[in-house]
Amino acid sequence: MKVNMASQTTVGLNLLSEDQIEEIHSATLQVLQTVGVDVYEEEALVLLKGSGADVEGNRVRIPVWMVQEALASAPKSVTLYNRQGEAACVLEKGRIYYGSGSDTPYTIDLETGKRRLATNEDVGNAAKLADALEHINFIMSLGLASDTPKESSDVYQYLAMVTNTTKPIVFTAHDKQGLLDIHEISALVAGGERELRRKPFLALYAEPSSPLMHSKEAVEKLLACAEKEIPVIYVPATMRGATGPVTPAGSLVVANAEQLSGLVVHQLKRRGAPFIYGGGTPPMDLRTFICSYGSPERDLGCTALVKIGQHYNLPTFTTAGCSDAHVFDQQAGMEAGFNLLIAGLAGGNLIHDAGYIGIGLISSMEMLVLCDETVNNVKYYLNGIEVNTETLAVDVIKAVGPGGNFIGEEHTLKHFRQNRINTHVLNRENLDNWELGGARTFGELANERAKELLAEHEVPSLPAEVLDRIEEIVRRKRGLEE
Amino acid sequence: MDFKGMNEHVLKGNVEEVTRGTQEMLESGAEPLRIISEGLIPGMNVVGGLFKKGEMFVPEVMRSAKAMSAGIALVRPLIADSDIPTRGTVLMGTVRGDLHDIGKNLVSMMLESQGFTVIDLGVNITPEQFVAAAEKHRPQIIGMSALLTTTMLAMRETIKALQEVNLTDGIKVMIGGAPVTAAFAKEIGADGYAPDAGSAVELCEQFVA
Repeated sequence: MKVNMASQTTVGLNLLSEDQIEEIHSATLQVLQTVGVDVYEEEALVLLKGSGADVEGNRVRIPVWMVQEALASAPKSVTLYNRQGEAACVLEKGRIYYGSGSDTPYTIDLETGKRRLATNEDVGNAAKLADALEHINFIMSLGLASDTPKESSDVYQYLAMVTNTTKPIVFTAHDKQGLLDIHEISALVAGGERELRRKPFLALYAEPSSPLMHSKEAVEKLLACAEKEIPVIYVPATMRGATGPVTPAGSLVVANAEQLSGLVVHQLKRRGAPFIYGGGTPPMDLRTFICSYGSPERDLGCTALVKIGQHYNLPTFTTAGCSDAHVFDQQAGMEAGFNLLIAGLAGGNLIHDAGYIGIGLISSMEMLVLCDETVNNVKYYLNGIEVNTETLAVDVIKAVGPGGNFIGEEHTLKHFRQNRINTHVLNRENLDNWELGGARTFGELANERAKELLAEHEVPSLPAEVLDRIEEIVRRKRGLEE
Repeated sequence: MDFKGMNEHVLKGNVEEVTRGTQEMLESGAEPLRIISEGLIPGMNVVGGLFKKGEMFVPEVMRSAKAMSAGIALVRPLIADSDIPTRGTVLMGTVRGDLHDIGKNLVSMMLESQGFTVIDLGVNITPEQFVAAAEKHRPQIIGMSALLTTTMLAMRETIKALQEVNLTDGIKVMIGGAPVTAAFAKEIGADGYAPDAGSAVELCEQFVA
């Protein structure tokens, strides 16, 4: 045997050297210790002060050892389960999972092709479509439910998701109350709070406020998640040139300081509670003021944060499958193709925002279908090339010889399925057969596939008694609203 | 083994089982022609359907064809040549100046798997060689292949040579290969063109219908 030779090497990305990451880390510690962050939540301030941070009003300066302790106690691996209690996303170094994007005011109507305000039915349909798509592994709310009460739309959106998918759900909550309502619903689905704690099928997405601030609402949610051991994604979108320095490295320092200080608070509340690192440093376009979702500037920041998270041995949450195009067009496809591959190469664990167009303001089911198809390609490529005696096939080459062919060989039969990629929408027909088939474009086929899957796919429904008890919670909320 | 079992083994491309089954049937006195028409061909028809639907792939079709051929090889000596069921004879070759044969071989194999008799002349076949072979074998169809834009012009000469001795009256000519188009086929007087091996089988089915 050959020693020290991997039989298979997968493909990856070398974006930052270990030395560069160390420099970013040192600069971050310096910022946390000397500049500090503003924290607008009382319990967190008490925790921080009591544990050795320098607290002056809302300003908190955090010593290096506190950051190191938080990094040491945070779990290296977090598992998200599906609704049936099976491990679905194991968030460890190198394992990638793609998911849909979140909370878009608009959607592109599948029937009319026109942009309109998103409804709760859209949220449910998007969850159902994502549930049907093989390469979408977790679900976020692809729409803001404009037809539900604003104060509790988070809970309604969560209900639309949990009844239309069995895959893990990454959700947002307006505030601590919304989070607790969603937690209560989830415990019913999981069969009890203890079951949910042991096998969480959900994670909260919350954000610090760049630069270097933690709002009351965000920290309340962060603390509640720590207490209940709900995995929490606490990641910033530090805008380069606006809420962070315009240089990629500088914005990474700000983004890193924000989430590491969040991690300190979180681990002070409950050591070992599941925390997910990541986020992005998207550029604010200094001509149009938009916060870009499709640009390589964003991709650079997202993948750098993944690399830093991997350095810390923390699970990561990152962004891909999104575009600045306002319609599902060539730009949407090009940007999603680029960022889905880059994110896969970087190896971030939860890669969200599939189906996002319009600078994060519009959802598109065709885009979701495109992302699924692209991820299929990405995963094929990332698998790399298996090199061993069997795959080198010298015996077969000998047997076939010059001028022969390999089509009918046993070796071909044995290996062709794992070496070819199946496509659903991408054209692989020759010109004549494509024309015979109606000369249909990718957009037309993606639209058709989305409609077909929505019509055919069935999601197992929740038990009647669980639905009844969820209904009670909804009634209670309605009562409060009135 | 019964016919249905044979069909299954052809579908799975199990050469050993098809060989064993054919021997068993012959020993127990089954009629040789029925072994072909009921034991082997129906299995291959299923394969053709699954290939069209994208559920089976070329290497699997070939494995099934191999299994069917193994059965036919055992039965063949017991049947008069004229009684062997065939959907038609196809003369195949890559035209003069061109040594590429993967496309032609694929078409040949797909045609054989669907019950056609294929006489494969090989590569670099001159118009004269096509004419001589056509006179000798009297096929229903002649298939010509070329990969190069420079050699596809030899197709025109070959058709001309066939026309000069009136062979195109009773024989359909089809052409194929990466640079070939339907318009080119029409221009040089070919009866048909197929963009891929699967379509070539359908074209031949139309020719002999």
